[in-house]
Amino acid sequence: MAAEPYDPSDEALAALVQKNDHAAFALLMDRYQPKLLRYGRRFLAQQEPIDDAVQDVFLKVYQNIQSYDAQRPFAPWIYRIAHNVFTNELRRKSRKPLVTLDLDMLSAHTAYEIDPAGEEEQRQVETLINRGLDALPSRYREVTVLHYIENLSYQEIADVLHVPVGTVGIRLYRARQVLKKYVEQS
Amino acid sequence: MSNNPDIKARVFEKIRSGEVSMRPRFLFTLRVIGTATLALLALLVAIFTLSFVVFSVHESGEQFLLGFGARGLATFAAIFPWLPLIVAVALLFVLEALLHTFTFGYRVPLLRIFLWVLLAAAAGTFLVGLTSVHSYLLDRADHDELPVLGPLYERIHDVHTQQGVYRGMITAFTNTGFILAHDDVDRDADESSWQIIPPHRFATSTLSIGERVYVAGRFANGFVYAYGIQSLAQRSVSQ
Repeated sequence: MAAEPYDPSDEALAALVQKNDHAAFALLMDRYQPKLLRYGRRFLAQQEPIDDAVQDVFLKVYQNIQSYDAQRPFAPWIYRIAHNVFTNELRRKSRKPLVTLDLDMLSAHTAYEIDPAGEEEQRQVETLINRGLDALPSRYREVTVLHYIENLSYQEIADVLHVPVGTVGIRLYRARQVLKKYVEQS
Repeated sequence: MSNNPDIKARVFEKIRSGEVSMRPRFLFTLRVIGTATLALLALLVAIFTLSFVVFSVHESGEQFLLGFGARGLATFAAIFPWLPLIVAVALLFVLEALLHTFTFGYRVPLLRIFLWVLLAAAAGTFLVGLTSVHSYLLDRADHDELPVLGPLYERIHDVHTQQGVYRGMITAFTNTGFILAHDDVDRDADESSWQIIPPHRFATSTLSIGERVYVAGRFANGFVYAYGIQSLAQRSVSQ
């Protein structure tokens, strides 16, 4: 009888890393390296290699792994670290200061807390993303990448960006509008 | 997309060389405790400062200026303790920023959490107002027994004659009004007296010798031409 392949969850691996298990950390890096490279490239909208930034993310993950609560999902936690590293990278490269206060964070947007996209809408948005993602402002680009490319839920994105769920919803709504307009114009 | 093996290798190299090490859990626990303590401290200091502002306005009689018409309002704005108020509001913003670092903080819209913060500060200010803590501290300041906060409390008894505000005790009545002696029963050498001319149609008979009053008016030719007089015992109101 063939043994079940060993496929622990990210959370279980992270708990092992907390006990200094380097093999578990290697496995986590294998799982997240392609995702973080993709997220970083899209978020930073750059073609140059971002290996250093992703390496920085993994180093921070290792340094701060004891702050991770293994009872909670691992993906938002590691994407949060990646968000901070990539935001710093953007800030370093941008001559303009990044806007930190977002008016969408001020009030509740309960109508936008539920993902309205069905399969058809998902396909349409993916087409739009392929054609115009780089045209989006960074705060809309990031939620778009996290939701449509990294497949994070609204709640998980809220935990990555430290914003209310309604803010995630309204940013995605605005991102879709901007994308549609951009594709129509081009 | 294929994995770049260099990244993993470089990460492990830095770990093995000791360049990067895992931070112990207690550091993160300490950080959470520190943030929570700072947040609590910010709230308490904001409440104390706000309640001081309310106490100061009430104790000095400045709130009576609000009933003295447009000139009273302008004078009120000129002598209002803005600095403590600004400090308190700044602390509330600091508190909001600190709360935002917690999960329950960032999941709530900024305006809603600021409303909670305001409500907490208002409730705390009300509760402190029910105690005699500020009266006690003022008494200590009057006797030069309050370090650090002393000057803040002594300001409550400052005279504001430059702004046309006079506070004191009626020592005598004259044909045209009354004599007001400034005496805050503190150790300041700010005692003096003024001859007050009440506003037109003011019934001086409502006042009595020994009564403490708050007067707003214009000083000219050795007289204070009052546009508002209020008994500090709150027995009479007139303009």
